[in-house]
Amino acid sequence: MTERATGRTTGRPAEPTTGRATEPTTERTTGRRRPVRSYTLLAGCVLAGLIVLLALVSLVWSPYAADDTSGGRLAGPGSGHLLGTDKLGRDLFTQVMTGARIAVEAGLGSVLIAAVLGILLGLLTAFAQGWLDDTLSAFLDILIAFPTLLLAMLIVAAHSATLGSAVLAIGLAQSAVVARLTRILVKRVLTQDYITAARTSGTSWPRTVAQHVLPNIWPTLVVNLALQFGLAVLAEAGLSYLGLGVPPPNASWGGMLQEAQATFTTAPAGALAPGILLVMLVVGVNLIADGLRDTLDPTTRRRRT
Amino acid sequence: MNIKKTSLYGTATAITCALALSACGGSGGGSAAGGTYDKDATVNIGSLYEPQNLDNTAGGGQGVTEALNGNVYEGLFKLTDDGEVEPLLAQEHTVSEDGLTYTFTLRDGVTFHSGKKLTSEDVKYSLEKVLADDSQSARKSSLDVVKDIATPDARTLEVTLSKRSISFVYNLSYVWVINSEAKNLKTSEDGTGPFTLKKWTRGSALSLDRFPGYWGDAAASRQVVFHYYKDATALNNALLTDAVDVVTSEQSPDALGQFTSNAKYKVNDGDSTTKLLLAFNDKAKPFTDVKVRQAVSAAIDDKKLLESVWDGYGKEIGSMVPPTDPWYEDLTKTDTHDPARAKKLLKEAGYADGFSFTLDTPNYDPHPTAATFIKSELAKVGVTVKINTITPDEWYTKVYQNHDFTATLQEHVNDRDLVWYGNPDFYWGYDNPQVTRWVEQAEAAATEAEQTELLKKVNRKTAEDAASEWLYLYPQIVVANTKVSGYPLNGLNSQFFAYDIKKKS
Repeated sequence: MTERATGRTTGRPAEPTTGRATEPTTERTTGRRRPVRSYTLLAGCVLAGLIVLLALVSLVWSPYAADDTSGGRLAGPGSGHLLGTDKLGRDLFTQVMTGARIAVEAGLGSVLIAAVLGILLGLLTAFAQGWLDDTLSAFLDILIAFPTLLLAMLIVAAHSATLGSAVLAIGLAQSAVVARLTRILVKRVLTQDYITAARTSGTSWPRTVAQHVLPNIWPTLVVNLALQFGLAVLAEAGLSYLGLGVPPPNASWGGMLQEAQATFTTAPAGALAPGILLVMLVVGVNLIADGLRDTLDPTTRRRRT
Repeated sequence: MNIKKTSLYGTATAITCALALSACGGSGGGSAAGGTYDKDATVNIGSLYEPQNLDNTAGGGQGVTEALNGNVYEGLFKLTDDGEVEPLLAQEHTVSEDGLTYTFTLRDGVTFHSGKKLTSEDVKYSLEKVLADDSQSARKSSLDVVKDIATPDARTLEVTLSKRSISFVYNLSYVWVINSEAKNLKTSEDGTGPFTLKKWTRGSALSLDRFPGYWGDAAASRQVVFHYYKDATALNNALLTDAVDVVTSEQSPDALGQFTSNAKYKVNDGDSTTKLLLAFNDKAKPFTDVKVRQAVSAAIDDKKLLESVWDGYGKEIGSMVPPTDPWYEDLTKTDTHDPARAKKLLKEAGYADGFSFTLDTPNYDPHPTAATFIKSELAKVGVTVKINTITPDEWYTKVYQNHDFTATLQEHVNDRDLVWYGNPDFYWGYDNPQVTRWVEQAEAAATEAEQTELLKKVNRKTAEDAASEWLYLYPQIVVANTKVSGYPLNGLNSQFFAYDIKKKS
């Protein structure tokens, strides 16, 4: 895999398989592009990394216990509480940390479901022909047209409001998007001569897919999955805002925003903290996606250079 | 049923008729009048409760009561802002010796907004409308005792009951008198009130104009407009920018600072009848055991929860009865916060190591906050709470209809709703034959004193049994511009008489 990755980053977009990066243009291209991609990627990694760090720390340590109501009502920042407290006197920083963990879990979980289901479904539909092809793509279009949040609300209502069902719902909704993208990408790759070459040389379909198709669609997919991560985080926050996400006392950022809304004028920290962190994570992940696109996606690089 | 309706609550599931009963203040309180006022003024009222439709027997929601009750529609009787039942369209009434036949004489010279004269036929029609099979009126079951309605002449109505019902006249104050020929009641009206419906712009406003042909004192202002907002912040901003003159009820104490510190506004702290309940399923283990219910009640610091949610507003209660009900007694002593006693009771009940239960929590404020607090309080005595968030519709089917729950949280809006503990089939499943008998006897009582005495017994018994855990009583906060006066103080979420509101020019 590393070898392939090297091949792609060195500017051989049309290179069908793993390729060997031996063309003289390589050095020039990467050299010129390196600053751009590192800034975007770096900024993204810093922003999202901070949140991930917060989430990881929350697993082993938090300033107060999650259900400790010993603080005053809506205490301001300071006074033993870094960000202050909520109505019940619970430490906001502790809640924000838990929220970070929930957000990262929601993002990762949803993207995992979306990736596995979406890519499998996309591959299957890409090989379909005729009416089956039309039907399947129409089905995917309908799924995509259905709002993620509504679908999630349906599942949550039928199931129960937990992080698991929220992740499942968001992941399912997003898998349609991934499937459609995979389908289009695979279809394009399948028409290439090197596929015909591989097939005529006796390579089996599974092997062709693994060796020639997936490596070629991977860059675009990864970028899309990174974007989906950000959307999943937002969707979970939206669900929690509506009271349909993670049940209390777990503090999801969306739920915290909802709660702090009424007290914004008197205790703005309750809304600002989760709001800012939410923006940090989503923007961070989007920057990473941007950076990855510049780095990984051969087509955009060729156009730009 | 008698559950608070929320904006999410799209169906006819909720009781919508919360009533203003209060011991404090006269009707039409508000800030001091003083000075001259503008008879041609338009009074702008801000509210969070837009009606679903304009028919209170077709699931109009609490908004329809707020806007139309007493303003557009009138009943034979009315419940004043301080909780008295007064004759309105009924001039007088007599009750037969056996308490089964009520004869009402209608007020003379009353006309509907359409111009038709009020007759006893219209009252009969209106009462039948509430009792009809498809009626979603909150009072349908209470008025079930009506056996026969006769109209000997145009001004006389005779109602025969199947059994004595001391609350009959009180219940009639919930029945709107509607023109029997009126059509399209979901979008239009034909009542006898001091205002007529001018225009209802769905999603934004409902305007009422003074009715020139009103039989009583004309409305103080020429026009009243109810403006509907989706969230409290927008509503408060509307008040700050003079888009509205008065807000019918504030739902959070935290936005009040900007009004208490400003001489231009008056914050009124009235009494409500809305109670927040941790309702046990008294038929589901372990809450079948009185001691477990008492233990849970003792483990929860109601006062701290009230402080957290309402920041000093609101009241502690020890039972289902708000101070404005005739059979109120201060029973907060039976429900003191005492974790040590809670542990002792749990041990006696055989749960020395605690137990675990699922709390079905509606997903809107203040339930998630209360659930979080309860979880943390009960953890201290070894009881584990699993919070299950549900939507209002789920609550209605799962909890209210199917009784498929162990414990739940719910706001109960109505006054005089203690009597539900006399119904063993009610969702909380409190089944005490003695209490059921007392409730029945109270309803069949010949005098109100007798009724009050019996219901006080019910009150004490349910409180001792910890039939539910009554967390606290909501405050009723009306905020208004000092330019206006005469608004109801205890209007609750549902009734808001606007006809006395005066606005300085």
